[in-house]
Amino acid sequence: MIPQAPILAIVVPLFSAFLMPMIGLLSKRYNIDRACDWFAVAAMVGTLIVVASMAPTVWGGQIIVYKFGDWSPPWGINLAIDALSIQMALMIAGLGTLVMVYSVAYMQRDSRRDLFYTLALLVITGMMGTILTGDIFNFYVFLEIMSVASYALIAFRRDSSGIEAGLKYLFIGSLGTSFVLLSIAMLYSFVGSLNIADLGAKLAIYRGAAQPVPTILVASLALFVTGIMIKVAMVPFHIWLPDAFTAAPTAVSALLAGPAAVVGIYWVARLPYLPFGLPVGIILVSLGLLSMIVGVLMALTQRDFKRMLAYHVISQKGYMVLGIGLGTLGSVLGAQGGLFHLLNHSIYKSMLFMCAGAVLYRTGSQKFEELGGLGKNMPLTALTFLIGSLAISGIPPLNGFVSKYTIYLGGIEAGLPIVTIIAVLVSALTFASFFKAFSSVFLGQRPKHLRDIQEAPKLMLFPMLAMAVVCIVIGLFPALGFNVVGPAQAAAENSAGYIGHVIGGI
Amino acid sequence: MVELVWDPIVVTTAILLGSLVAYIILMIGHKITKPRLTPEKLKTYACGEELKPEETHMDSEQFFSPIRRIFRPFYRYIQPAHTGVLSTYLLWVVVGFIIIVIIIMLTVR
Amino acid sequence: MSLNYVIAMLLITLGLYCLLFKRNLIKLIIGLSVMTDGIHLFLISMGYRTGGIAPIVTGESTSNLPNFASRAVDPLPQALVLTSIVINICITAMALSLSIYAYRHYGTLDPSKIRRLSE
Repeated sequence: MIPQAPILAIVVPLFSAFLMPMIGLLSKRYNIDRACDWFAVAAMVGTLIVVASMAPTVWGGQIIVYKFGDWSPPWGINLAIDALSIQMALMIAGLGTLVMVYSVAYMQRDSRRDLFYTLALLVITGMMGTILTGDIFNFYVFLEIMSVASYALIAFRRDSSGIEAGLKYLFIGSLGTSFVLLSIAMLYSFVGSLNIADLGAKLAIYRGAAQPVPTILVASLALFVTGIMIKVAMVPFHIWLPDAFTAAPTAVSALLAGPAAVVGIYWVARLPYLPFGLPVGIILVSLGLLSMIVGVLMALTQRDFKRMLAYHVISQKGYMVLGIGLGTLGSVLGAQGGLFHLLNHSIYKSMLFMCAGAVLYRTGSQKFEELGGLGKNMPLTALTFLIGSLAISGIPPLNGFVSKYTIYLGGIEAGLPIVTIIAVLVSALTFASFFKAFSSVFLGQRPKHLRDIQEAPKLMLFPMLAMAVVCIVIGLFPALGFNVVGPAQAAAENSAGYIGHVIGGI
Repeated sequence: MVELVWDPIVVTTAILLGSLVAYIILMIGHKITKPRLTPEKLKTYACGEELKPEETHMDSEQFFSPIRRIFRPFYRYIQPAHTGVLSTYLLWVVVGFIIIVIIIMLTVR
Repeated sequence: MSLNYVIAMLLITLGLYCLLFKRNLIKLIIGLSVMTDGIHLFLISMGYRTGGIAPIVTGESTSNLPNFASRAVDPLPQALVLTSIVINICITAMALSLSIYAYRHYGTLDPSKIRRLSE
């Protein structure tokens, strides 16, 4: 492990974000084109190396605890990294690198690229901080960093739809984070500590209905759950997501759809165990089912390519929340399926958004009526879109099948076969809508004004093909995924081990 | 870790072998009879009217009209609910919060 | 001290009312700001001790630390509120600049008319 690795994973993107405007200024003076782009990619590769160096230690069974300024918890802020955090950190770093390589090619027609990379690296910093931290107010600060940077990124091109989507996301997101702040305030007034492990230890007496739960704790839990559900975009808090993903530049949509989903699901996975130990399984299962159904039914009637993909994001996140909710009702397979589905979904959803972005970059339109027959012009894009569509529908032998099958088994194991029936039905409807999307865009008759469209640039193709290869590999050897997800799910449930490591013996 | 009921590599090999056999049959069929394309075969039938190729694109919103008919009580309430007005969305957030408070009070007490 | 909590809850409710029922983007931003001010008031009044002294360690208080610790006001919520005020300044600034662009594109500040993306 690289020394000081936990804090370097947050510091490397943060300082690169602050150095980026200076590099933009220097590149304009000395006329080096694309200096900002490669600096951003180098910063992401550095983050990936730092995170990957922590992984073997954590998978060996140890929880890495890093104290800020050598103040030991619960009086100081600390970072605590267990197997659940390392899965999320690896996903953010890996997918962030691929999305940065994609945005080098995608944003090359825009001016002020240095500001774009500053904001994108700030989003990555916020995400890394949210999942690596062990202090609940620190989580709020990094959540706000991530949110404010993404409000600005969505409105980056300052066209009318971007401004509208940014405004709506800003108001709904700010309401959500205000709820989280109020929840932290109530929690502090009741318990007197801000450290997650300390909160878990002090609130453990309310677990299992040993003592009646006071009203302030119920209000605090409800506010926290509402705030997190706004971030995860569950129905009925989901309405910012279709507007935001349609109006944003597609590189931003790929960044938010892949890595930013990780933050919400990480906290949903922690929520039933730490810092409150109270049962929220029913809420998770019902919100997950509702989101799955509403997401896919709204996606069936869309005219816009990226808006349909955004509604599918809501539907697939419903699968993950459903899996984790089934985990609290006693099904281990359900929780593992939920976390595995997060891993798979981030890979193929970013890939699908990248294909939509490649089509938009070359043709200039993202509505189904104006596209058609692009399979002859863009064969590699069509191939990766086909792999992505098969993966999201849960067709063997790709990775979507493995995680969805695990969730189906989890539904039966938890004693709720109706959940399995609804999940299979939603998978079928997902396949139907992607079938329509694929044949509308890539097959069929080609209009005359699209005759000279070329293939997407090579820098865009490289991340898409890399993700397609990973999809196929995880589908053929699912043990690779389960080696990551199994310890993560065990670590999420093992709150006593977390508390013991952070407070007990350091 | 988890017992999966089937082995991925065996099934993938079976799928690839099956598609290879299908491709060979297709190629043999192409060698026996060549497809004869005329422009008349590629046109869509529009009840005798002349139709340009750009207009033959299926309307994406009505593509799944049978599914819309089945789920009609659902679509009547949910699709107009995505109005686009910001204040309605914030009202949904507050209503959702109140419902979550009620659910937690009922399950925890 | 319960008057502080009542006023804080009143501020939060008023801010929520502004967010939900007003029809001007500037009023929505003011409502969001009032709501977060209510949360800050709640946080600060949580740390207060009746008849307390400021939690600054000076020369004469180091001689009698347990007495000082039992009389001082809790400094942690004050640090939280300072951080939160800064975050809310960022959000207000961003919301105001987005409203300027929205006025340029749409010609109105009414959020029920800014709805080209719907359904």
